[in-house]
Amino acid sequence: MKLENGPRLHNPWGFIVVAVVSATVVIAFGLGFLLLPRYQEPRAPFSTKDAVYHALGFHIHGKAFNTMQPPPKVPTYIAWTESTIRQATIGDRKSGEFIATNCTACHGEKGLSTQPWIPSLAGLDRLVLYKQLDDFRSGTRLSGPMSAIAQSLTSQQYADVSAYFASLPGLPENRGERTPRPHSSYRNRDPVQRLIYAGDPKRGIAACASCHGPGGYRIGAPALAKQNELYLEQQLQAFALGTRANDMDMPMRTIASALTESEIRALARAYANENANGP
Amino acid sequence: MERSRILSLAHLWTAFLCFLPAVGLGFWQMLMRSPLPAPVDDPNTYYASVTAHGSIMAYVFPTFFAMGFGYAIAVSALGRPLQGEKWAWVGYALSLIGTVMALVPVAAGRASVLYTFYPPLLGSSWYYLGLALVIIGSYFWIALMLVNFRAWKRENPGKPVPLAMFAITACALLWGWTALGAVSEVLFQILPVTFGWRHTIDAGLARTLFSVTLHAIVYFWLIPAYIAYYTLMPQAAGGRLYSDTMGRITFILFLVFSIPVGLHHLFMDPEHGAGFKFVQSVLTFMVALPTLLTVFTITASLEIAGRVRGGKGLFGWIRALPWHEPMVLGVGLSLLLLGPGGFGGLINMSYAMNAMIHNTSWVTAHFHLIFGGAVVIVYFAIAYELWPRLTGRPLVSKRLADIQLWLWFWGILITTVPWHIAGLMGQPRRYAIFDYSDPVVAKTAFLVILSVIGGCIVVISVLLFFYVLVRSSFAPVAESMPPIRYALSVNPPATVPALLNGFGLWNVILLALVLIAYGYPIGQFFFLHNQDAPAYSLTRGITK
Repeated sequence: MKLENGPRLHNPWGFIVVAVVSATVVIAFGLGFLLLPRYQEPRAPFSTKDAVYHALGFHIHGKAFNTMQPPPKVPTYIAWTESTIRQATIGDRKSGEFIATNCTACHGEKGLSTQPWIPSLAGLDRLVLYKQLDDFRSGTRLSGPMSAIAQSLTSQQYADVSAYFASLPGLPENRGERTPRPHSSYRNRDPVQRLIYAGDPKRGIAACASCHGPGGYRIGAPALAKQNELYLEQQLQAFALGTRANDMDMPMRTIASALTESEIRALARAYANENANGP
Repeated sequence: MERSRILSLAHLWTAFLCFLPAVGLGFWQMLMRSPLPAPVDDPNTYYASVTAHGSIMAYVFPTFFAMGFGYAIAVSALGRPLQGEKWAWVGYALSLIGTVMALVPVAAGRASVLYTFYPPLLGSSWYYLGLALVIIGSYFWIALMLVNFRAWKRENPGKPVPLAMFAITACALLWGWTALGAVSEVLFQILPVTFGWRHTIDAGLARTLFSVTLHAIVYFWLIPAYIAYYTLMPQAAGGRLYSDTMGRITFILFLVFSIPVGLHHLFMDPEHGAGFKFVQSVLTFMVALPTLLTVFTITASLEIAGRVRGGKGLFGWIRALPWHEPMVLGVGLSLLLLGPGGFGGLINMSYAMNAMIHNTSWVTAHFHLIFGGAVVIVYFAIAYELWPRLTGRPLVSKRLADIQLWLWFWGILITTVPWHIAGLMGQPRRYAIFDYSDPVVAKTAFLVILSVIGGCIVVISVLLFFYVLVRSSFAPVAESMPPIRYALSVNPPATVPALLNGFGLWNVILLALVLIAYGYPIGQFFFLHNQDAPAYSLTRGITK
């Protein structure tokens, strides 16, 4: 820097500024890393090293806790990591079409089921199909025929068959676009519409549409529009009873158990009869 | 000279023309949150609207305003033609294209991620690219401010750079450094996912990078208002600035301390330990210093003007001030609102107290009070001051301008005070709709309705502002229009220490502080690798 006020020795301000700023920083670190952690009750760290670790955000109490725990209940072995998403989305449609010849007996020609308790698969999201197959294989979702079928396929074949069904025209795709949809708040007088678009926070019920569409999308959550009514109703009841428990972080078990019988029926009917503008 | 006026006017008109619809959206949002009936009545539209409102108010409006004001200062304070005017137009065009690119996907409902765009929620690539382009356009302005600053210093060796130019250059530098946080988040975290190259995103790193920008951006908005405090208001009041040195120190302190403090926006986040949160909390308190210096200096300057005008006694000088001058009125009202706004900020930045108000409406109310109450009201006053100088046409009515400022003052106050209280009662922020049939929520109904009334007053005030500006733009050209005059200080400096006449050492200190305060909090993600989250694409770009 060019000095305009004579030689540097006669202008101590640069030094003073650096000293003041440094002192502030040193005091802040001293307080934040050495002194204050020692006074954080309960279980304040004892040594300087532990205090610094604590301040950096490392868990230093690991040995004291988490000793005897009941075995964990795993809802699903799928986690949406980079590698799982890649695996689930690299399926080959052609190979999938060949595998899918085994599915037609129940899920219908071209993935549109005619039996009301069996879901249609045409147009469902690839990640949704992949996760359910993996859950049937691991036993976190139970179904006699589906468990046997899933166990006979490889992960690559899950991806293939998912790619095939996803590509079929059928259930309306949930694109997650937030186009204006008037009257979708608590001001709506229709209780079913209110549940679908606004939920019921008093009972801890989130809006169905925020994950299942229309207008909302969540990874791994299926689009429900035009799905078979009886299937939807049975799944909600299974979630409510806990006989179906493969929902990651249990949103569906929580919500379904808070719904009444008549709400479950009304919601299933609304989604099954959804037209282009929503249920 | 004439061409640089058009340059400034183009920027300022763009700023205010974006501001107008954003205010309308804000009013509708308040209506949506209230128990009163709201048109459209759709939560998803609410989030799209909040995104548009926030993106305009946080990025587009203040950026264009600072750019236009900066060019006007460079010409009028330095008394020389703007060097590199061609590049200023390039920057303007880029920022304008960026604005359109960002707002079209928002309007289409494909980028409802709010202006803080915290991943893993992700919108359309166009939105992020557009905002990046707005920032890139503003880098042309930063470069031009530095070029003109240097050129003047070269031509005037040993002389103090005029305070207004010194301050706007500090503002430009601050924006240049701090915008790097958001820009690197967009380039290295968000776009690789929205382009489909990756499916997960390191939410912790992304949020931390954004926090580098999130706090200092407030001072980027605030400094143009402070420039009016220091250099335009004392002149309009017919007095002098109490201290030129105090002004320089203030702007330097903003530059040095406003960036290494952003972690206080993440106090409740799990990805950082308590140590660095505490350190940045301490550094945040240092940012309160320049505001305290300013309140002191500006009040002293007002007193000088009042006494020069014959005011006597302990408070008599207040009455003697020319409150009919929009600049004096604007700054006075801004100072009043800066008080509660600033104290609210002290609560937010305190590590322990933050826990009570984090993610409640208190925070939203706080930044509306600071931005609307302390900053934008001075932008209006600056516009009233600049318009006659830029257009050559006098203001149609100072009286209407004063009414507009008063309406804005009361509007903001009535909007934000109940909003703060609702936040203290636990009303969460970022909620589109509230179920007022819930007895707990019902307690806030009256407060939210008050905020709606305040919002209504704000809308009227903005319409009046446009009426005054548009009418003035068609007024007959004045025969002679005095140039912009900047206030002299009580003791105009003949020379100032080199430290207070340039930014060399301050840039070094700033970078050292950022390295100390952010080095580990950002660096940890490169060896911890534990924050990857699946990207929640709003428009489902990841599977199809």
